[in-house]
Amino acid sequence: MMTDILSVLTAENLLFLLDGLKMTIFYAGSTILLSICLGLILALLRSYSLGFWGKLAAMYIEVLRNTPLILWILGIRFLTPIPPLWSGVVSLTLFETAIIAEIIRGGLGGIPKGQFEAGHSQGFTFLQVLRFIVVPQCFRSIVPALLSQVITIVKDSSFLWAVAIEEFTGKGMILMGRFTSTAQVFTLFALMAAVYFTINFLLSAAVRRQSAKTGRKPTLEDLSAVTA
Amino acid sequence: MIRLVDVNKYFGDLHVLKNINLEVKEGEKLVVIGPSGSGKSTMIRCMNFLEEPTSGHVYIDGVELTHKNKTEMNRKNIAMVFQQFNLYPHMTVLENVTLAPIRLQGLKKEEAQQQAFRYLDIVGLREKAHVYPATLSGGQQQRVAIARALATHQKIILFDEPTSALDPETVQEVLDVMIRLSRENITMVVVTHEMGFARQVADRVIFMDQGTILEEGAPEHFFENPTHERTKAFLSKILR
Repeated sequence: MMTDILSVLTAENLLFLLDGLKMTIFYAGSTILLSICLGLILALLRSYSLGFWGKLAAMYIEVLRNTPLILWILGIRFLTPIPPLWSGVVSLTLFETAIIAEIIRGGLGGIPKGQFEAGHSQGFTFLQVLRFIVVPQCFRSIVPALLSQVITIVKDSSFLWAVAIEEFTGKGMILMGRFTSTAQVFTLFALMAAVYFTINFLLSAAVRRQSAKTGRKPTLEDLSAVTA
Repeated sequence: MIRLVDVNKYFGDLHVLKNINLEVKEGEKLVVIGPSGSGKSTMIRCMNFLEEPTSGHVYIDGVELTHKNKTEMNRKNIAMVFQQFNLYPHMTVLENVTLAPIRLQGLKKEEAQQQAFRYLDIVGLREKAHVYPATLSGGQQQRVAIARALATHQKIILFDEPTSALDPETVQEVLDVMIRLSRENITMVVVTHEMGFARQVADRVIFMDQGTILEEGAPEHFFENPTHERTKAFLSKILR
């Protein structure tokens, strides 16, 4: 039993997994940054543009949000010429953008009309009102929801295993093929779970700490200070 | 300074402003009173195009206010103080007061802050410069909103029921600031139910009912000798 466990936890295996962990951080990190930026644009369009672009944003969000992630991962990998490394970023970003857009839209919906009126009465243009007044307030109010989606993205990146992208779960599954005893398999699963748990737990603890330090509700800056 | 010509405003089928003609002179303190639903808020909001009239014209300093130029006109000429204060909750008091001077008037941060402290002195809130609005009382928030309106040096300040959302205890501190302001050469249009303030500060009072200006005059005439029955009835209820 003990030898089984130790046979999994060799330096060689751990380094092998570490390579995968780096990829997971790369995939999750770039997806988080891209999907927050793109999600903001979609949310603004869906909230404030009544014309073509608003409808298009709404359609995109509804289609992506109501279909499974794995479908997009497979589709982008096998039906497009995008190279494997980038197909992971693209498919995750396409999907998570829709989810994050809806989170941001919820925040925008909570901004009182008076904030726009105050901005307009001071002579700010609509875009300036969004930039200086509305969007910063929106992000402040959605940090909890956004954080939980960030954690979900870290976990969702494990689906990339399905298209043989060697992120953390992918590497783990390769190792898994070498082990046969129940204890070995359990050890490996437990290790992988512990790693995901640690990343995500640290992430939420760090956001909480950052916001406690500034003595106010968590903000997007706190989130980016942590993810950077 | 402000001229409304044949202004009509409909909300759907509701005719809220009926052919309003009004001229406010430079430096004049105009107080607008009337029952709720009489259109007084809508009228004052037409003066900075937060509501755009369905028909008619609004001139500021001789220039017609349009959908196109309203942002620029507001930036240069008109500030507003709201019933619900509408401070920016994610910014400190100082940031609230300096946002427009820095972003719209191109002041350096230090200049804008120096100037902001002067206005915070006027409203008596210098020591609150670095707190967030949520920690302030309603009266204090409204005084910050007044400092914010002053900080852009506009010639016109519109007050839309500035004390209606306040605790009775804090109403006077806001009125005191407004009384002090009234000694400056700023054109003030104030929608209010504070008759004491109207008497003390107004150069002219207008009474609105059902979308029209029913009566207007100097405060002495207005409060001592109203001509319209409707005005008399309103005043007798409000001036117990």
